[in-house]
Amino acid sequence: GPRLCLEAALSFLLLLACAQALVPSHRLDARDLARLRAVLERPFTDVRAAFYSIVGLSSLGVKVADEKAACKFIKSHVDSSSVESLFYAAQAMQVLSGCEVTISNETRELLLAAVSEDSSVTQIFHAVGALSGFGLPLASQEALSALTARLSKEESVLATIQALETASHLSQQADLSSIVEEIEDLVARLDDLGGVYLQFEEGIETTALFVAAAYKLSDHVGTEPAIKEDQVIQLMNAIFSKKNFETLSEAFSIARAAGALSQNRFHLPVIIVPDGPAAVSHHQPLLRLQVTNVMSQLLTQVSVKLDQAKSVSSKATVLQQLPFTLSGDFFELNFMNVKPASGYYDFSISVDGDKRFIANKVELKVKVSTEVGITNVDLSTVDKDQSIAPKTTRVAYPAKAKGSFTADSHQNFALSFQLIDVNSGAELIPHQTFVRLHNQKTGQEVVFVAEPDSKNVYKFELDTSERKTEFDSASGTYTLYLIIGDATLENPILWNVADVVITFPEEDAPSTVQSKNLFVPKPEIQHLFREPEKRPPTVVSNTFTALVLSPLLLLLILWIKIGANISNFSFAPSTIVFHLGHAAMLGLMYVYWTQLNMFQTLKYLAILGGITFLAGNRMLAQKAVKR
Amino acid sequence: LSEYGGGTAGRLKALDAFLLYVLLTGALQFGYCLGVGTFPFNSFLSGFISAVGSFILGVCLRIQINPQNKGEFQGISPERAFADFLFANTILHLVVINFVG
Repeated sequence: GPRLCLEAALSFLLLLACAQALVPSHRLDARDLARLRAVLERPFTDVRAAFYSIVGLSSLGVKVADEKAACKFIKSHVDSSSVESLFYAAQAMQVLSGCEVTISNETRELLLAAVSEDSSVTQIFHAVGALSGFGLPLASQEALSALTARLSKEESVLATIQALETASHLSQQADLSSIVEEIEDLVARLDDLGGVYLQFEEGIETTALFVAAAYKLSDHVGTEPAIKEDQVIQLMNAIFSKKNFETLSEAFSIARAAGALSQNRFHLPVIIVPDGPAAVSHHQPLLRLQVTNVMSQLLTQVSVKLDQAKSVSSKATVLQQLPFTLSGDFFELNFMNVKPASGYYDFSISVDGDKRFIANKVELKVKVSTEVGITNVDLSTVDKDQSIAPKTTRVAYPAKAKGSFTADSHQNFALSFQLIDVNSGAELIPHQTFVRLHNQKTGQEVVFVAEPDSKNVYKFELDTSERKTEFDSASGTYTLYLIIGDATLENPILWNVADVVITFPEEDAPSTVQSKNLFVPKPEIQHLFREPEKRPPTVVSNTFTALVLSPLLLLLILWIKIGANISNFSFAPSTIVFHLGHAAMLGLMYVYWTQLNMFQTLKYLAILGGITFLAGNRMLAQKAVKR
Repeated sequence: LSEYGGGTAGRLKALDAFLLYVLLTGALQFGYCLGVGTFPFNSFLSGFISAVGSFILGVCLRIQINPQNKGEFQGISPERAFADFLFANTILHLVVINFVG
C-alpha cells in the first residue's frame, strides 16, 4: 500500500545520503602552513600583535623564535590601565615559558571591576581572560551570571563566541550549560553554501574563531559539541579555503581553528592523500597513501583498510577487506597482485584507530595502466572484382612494410590488426585507434577510425571511389600511420606502417592542389541595409491631400443648403465653457500628434475632459429643460 | 428623394450631410491606398478607421435622436445621445491620433 511505498522511499533516501558522505575539500598543506607562519612571525608592532603571533603560533605547535625578547616586549608595551591590553599580555605570557610578572593591586581591582553586568561581553571576556592568564583568583559564579545577563542583551555572533571563550576560563563547578547551549544556536546561524561550505555571514575569521572557541569550551566541560560530522567537514572546507592571510587577526583565527581541529577530545577530521596521482601499473604496483590531520601532520598510529575495490566499467568487485601496510610515512597496498584489467577502479577506504575520527571513509578513483601491443598486422590490396586473390603482407611493429601498396579504381587497400594487453594477453579496446594518411607532396592529411569487429580484430578498408571527397581527389603517395592511445595506456603508439599510392580517376582531380587553409580571410560580406519603401511622388500626395479636403467643402455647402445655423446659440457661461473646452480638446489632439506622448495627453485630456463634461452636462440639461 | 427632403427633420438632415462627408473621405482614402500604395500603412489605417468609426458613431447618434425611434430609447434623451457621441468620438480620435504617426 502507500505506507509501504513511503517506507521504501525513505530508506532509499537514507541509503543515498549515506552513500554520498561529505569529503573534505580543503586543508592546510605544507605551503599554506608556511604562509601562515610567515604572517604570524612578523615582528610585533604592539601587544595585540604580540598576542596574535604568540598564541597563533602555539596553536600550530610552533614556539616563538626568541621567547625572552617577546616577554620583554610585552612587559614594556602593556598598558596597565586598559583591560584589553592586559588581556593580550596575560594570554601571551601564559604561552611563553618562563615569563612571569607581578600584578599590582590596582590592576587586579581594575580587572575584577570589569567583570560586571555593566561591561560589554567583550570587556568581560578580556577581564576574565586576563585574570585567568595572570593566575589571579576569580569568582566564577559571579562572572557567569554577569556573562549570562550581558549575553541576553547582546545578540551578535562575535559576542556569543567571546562568551564561549570566557566560559572556558571559568571553573567547571559553575553550571556552564547555558553557555554550552549557545554552541547549538550558533551552528544554526551558519550559512550553508552549496552543501560544501558552512560559514557565518560575518566571514571566515568569525567562523574560525567559533570553531576554536566551541572546541575549547567543549574540552573544558567534557561534553561533545553539538556539531554534526558533516557540519564539521563543511566548516573545515570554509575555513581552510582561505589561502591568503592579509591581516594578523585572520591568520590568528585560522591557526587557532587548525589547532582546535587537530587536538580536541571529540572530533578529529582525517585527510587521506594519495602519493602523486592515484595510479598503479606493472612498474609501480603499489598504491601509496598518507593519512594526515587538518594541519598536514602525519597520523601513523592508525589502521587503513580497503573496504572494497570495484571496477568502474564492469561494476565487479575486484578486492575486499584488505588492510594497507605501513611503510615509513606511507600506507601501501599492492593492487597488481590481483592482476586487474586496465581501467578505472573505485576504492572505498576507511581509516580507524580513534573514536574521534571523522571523514574517515573516502572514495578514491584509482587508475590501472598497462602497455599495449599490436599483433597480427596484415596489409592487403583487395581486388574490387574479386577476380584476383588479395595479396597480404604481414608487418611487425615497429618495422615499416617494404614496398608500397596501391589503391585505385580496381583495388582497395585493407588493414587489419589486433591490440592486446602486453602483461595479461587480454584483448584491449582503447579509446583512440586512428589510421592517418599523410600526402607527402601537399601535406594534406586524412584521418580515419579503425573499428573492431565482433572478434575484437580491428579492420580498416580504403575504397578510393567512396573516399574521394575526404582526399579532395588528390592522387599521390601517402604515408600510412597507425595511432593508438588511451588514458590507461603507458605506451601510446604512432607507427609509420607503410606507404600507399592512391590514384583517383583523372576527371575528378583538381587542377591545382589547394591546401585547405582555414585561416585566410574569407570573402567580405556586404551588408544590405533595409531599403526604404518606395514612396509616391510628392505631387501625387499633395493632390490627394487636396482631394481629401474636398468633401469638407461639400459638407459646408450641404449644411448651408439644409439650413443648419447657430442662431440658437445661447451665451450662457456653461455653453461657452463647453465649446471652449471642446475646442481645446481638439487642439490637444493636434498637439498630441506633433509633440506629446500618451501619458501627457491623457493627463491633459483628463483635465480638459472633466471641465468640458461638467459644462456640457449643464448646457445639455438646460437645453433639455428648454425643450 | 423628395420624400426624404420633406419627411426628415432639419437636424437629421444636417447629420446625414455629415455622414455623407465622412463616407466620401473614407472612400477617397481607400481609393488612394488601392491606387498609390500602402506606404505609410499605419497612417492609412488610422485615417480609415477614423472615417469608419466616425460614420458608425454618427449613425448611432442618428438612430438615437430620430423622433420616430423614440419608443425604443426610453431612457436616453437626445442630449444624452449627443454627449455619448462626443465621448465616444474623443476616445476614438485619441487612438487614431496615437496611431497616425
